[in-house]
Amino acid sequence: MDHFPNYWGMPPQESFDRYNIFQDKTKNNAISDPTTNTKQPIVTGTSVIAFKYKDASFGSLARYREVERLYPVGEYTVLASSGDFSDFQYVKHTLDKIMTKEYYTNDGHILGTPHIYEYLSQVMYHRRSKLNPLWNAFVVGGYHNGEGYLGYVNLLGTTFQASTITTGIGMYMASPLLRKAVEGHEDTLTEAEAVDLVEQVMRVLYYRDSQSINRYQRAKITAQGVEISPLLSAPTDWSIGKDLRGYQ
Amino acid sequence: MDAYVNAFRTTVPTWFDGGIPSSSFGLEAAKEFAMPAFDIPGCHNPMEFLRSITDETSKDYRIKIQHGTTTLAFKFKGGVMVAVDSRATAGGYIASQTVKKIIEINPYLLGTMAGGAADCSYWERELGRRCRLYQLKNKELISVAAASKLLANMVYPYKRMGISMGTMVTGWDKTGPNLFYVDADGTRIKGEIFSVGSGSTFAYGVLDSTHDYELEENDAIDLARRSIYHATYRDAGSGGSVSVYHVKENGWQFISTHDVYDLHYEYQDQPKPRLI
Amino acid sequence: MSFYPYTDNGGSALAIAGEDYCLLASDTRQSGEDYKIHAGYVPKAFKLTDSCVYAGVGFSADGVALVKRVRQSIEWYRHAHEKTMSTPALAQMIATVLYSKRFFPYYVGTILGGLDENGRGVVYSFDPVGSFEAELHKAVGSGAELIQPFLDNQVNLKFLPEVERTPLPLDVALQIAKDAFTSAAERDTKTGDYLEIFIIDREGVNVERFDLKRD
Repeated sequence: MDHFPNYWGMPPQESFDRYNIFQDKTKNNAISDPTTNTKQPIVTGTSVIAFKYKDASFGSLARYREVERLYPVGEYTVLASSGDFSDFQYVKHTLDKIMTKEYYTNDGHILGTPHIYEYLSQVMYHRRSKLNPLWNAFVVGGYHNGEGYLGYVNLLGTTFQASTITTGIGMYMASPLLRKAVEGHEDTLTEAEAVDLVEQVMRVLYYRDSQSINRYQRAKITAQGVEISPLLSAPTDWSIGKDLRGYQ
Repeated sequence: MDAYVNAFRTTVPTWFDGGIPSSSFGLEAAKEFAMPAFDIPGCHNPMEFLRSITDETSKDYRIKIQHGTTTLAFKFKGGVMVAVDSRATAGGYIASQTVKKIIEINPYLLGTMAGGAADCSYWERELGRRCRLYQLKNKELISVAAASKLLANMVYPYKRMGISMGTMVTGWDKTGPNLFYVDADGTRIKGEIFSVGSGSTFAYGVLDSTHDYELEENDAIDLARRSIYHATYRDAGSGGSVSVYHVKENGWQFISTHDVYDLHYEYQDQPKPRLI
Repeated sequence: MSFYPYTDNGGSALAIAGEDYCLLASDTRQSGEDYKIHAGYVPKAFKLTDSCVYAGVGFSADGVALVKRVRQSIEWYRHAHEKTMSTPALAQMIATVLYSKRFFPYYVGTILGGLDENGRGVVYSFDPVGSFEAELHKAVGSGAELIQPFLDNQVNLKFLPEVERTPLPLDVALQIAKDAFTSAAERDTKTGDYLEIFIIDREGVNVERFDLKRD
């Protein structure tokens, strides 16, 4: 009779066993897998930033190798992805399929931003519960019922809605800038100010994120629909470089 | 959730129910032999995964499950005396000092809780359900031996999966007072004196030194209480208060609950009881 | 690197039961790993019935999934039995739901605050796999270890010299809850932003929101 509750019912301790019967000491990670299910992201994209302004939502990406990571879903929603690119493509296909179903039922209703967001967050949580996640952090932005909607969902199924959302390294660097400019002013921030803010934040990210390049895209969603800008560059100033020792 | 929803379906349920088509008698809610359904993670070694997140010694330890820890029971001429402490710890944090570790399965049967608090309360509640079904089917109360056997058999399929349960099942049936120890490793033993939990070794010391079958009821109560008190004094995982129950011929009776803080000062003022 | 399915989104919640009311307070900050703050207003406490409020603190996705399941069960129950689930019945049901994931637990510290069938306040607290207990007060979450001792002292009046024990009035309990959170927000990095307090009494459930330190 073992008196210590910690050992009851447990599988035999792999690191040691009292009578030295089990010799297999090669087990290390509990959830590593010979037939890999759990994986690591291969082709990844870096930060996404998004925020609400008067009448709309704005999202933008610091891109990676000329690849588009903003995707319109339906007429009033945009999906922005950071993380694994192949999983993003899978999600695009899945959302396309459900939107197609919505269109052909032709009953006067189309899935709105909150609905797409809810569907996507359930898919993400379910995949995480099967220990086979879609290795992404998504931002779903759109226009629904007269106001902007912005939601975040990641590989663990963690969700939140806020008026400013960032992913990746943007969470450290872009969040403070966005929060200062947007929080409290969601109803008064004009489009021009919003465009300016995006450029400013993208510049900061380009300066400080080693995995970014100076190319970004901007998506604007308003009552008129989705508008995704062409590739843009943030104007940068490297003149301080001449004062740094070792800078070529 | 699926298991719950299935209860409302009219199609054939996934539970094996002894051959009786349950829908014809409306017995869905009382599927006698139904095994509960659990979610298992889809990784290569789910038990190793569970252990890595719940075992305090592992580096991935995150999920703190409450453990409960000194209980004792002994037979004497007046029946069975059962005493428990009331502390539940989660990692190093004392989650509660008021846990009820004696589970009243029915007015004649008691179960104690040591090990994982959720495991004990869930499986003993399931045991209570099975005992009631037995009573309805056979028109007599279930014996302690049968009840403890039911419990042991219920948890055996989950052996080595991480359930931590060390419980004593006791009662007075037609063969007299009975005491069984059942745990999640599959042990089921009948005995006269048991103490279970991290503080059990301390309780055994006091219990064995003064135990006598011929004890009077008041002395037995005092011995039980004192043994738990000593365990709470020396074991960090035990504390709170001591509850004592007495199993008699016509059922169990709750005796008292004392805060160990008060007991400490009360015993300090008394002369030490004679050992020899 | 392999996939670890849990994370701690932080936050704290507490509940205090009074004679004819129950109070449940939770902060609304959602944190990420390594000191990130995801957002300032992500509610962790949800009203379940007119006499019961639930708070789930820990891994936010599991907390949300659990509340969804519980809400669905309440709906089924209402259709099957033509009445709303009582708070003690809800507590037992949540314990069973938590235990059904015993081998892949919901990483959530749960508390339920509400009125029992007699209209008395009651708090139920759960561990991640379903062990539960009815109590007068409980704190869960990253700030629990800071808040619980304060509640033991002020609500239970533990170890104070002989104080007359009168039932705690609602406004005193409210002040205790606010003080507990302002102190916890000071010392716990994962607690802060906003505080939501649910008050459950005979008339139903009311919510009030207060500001906490946003740093």
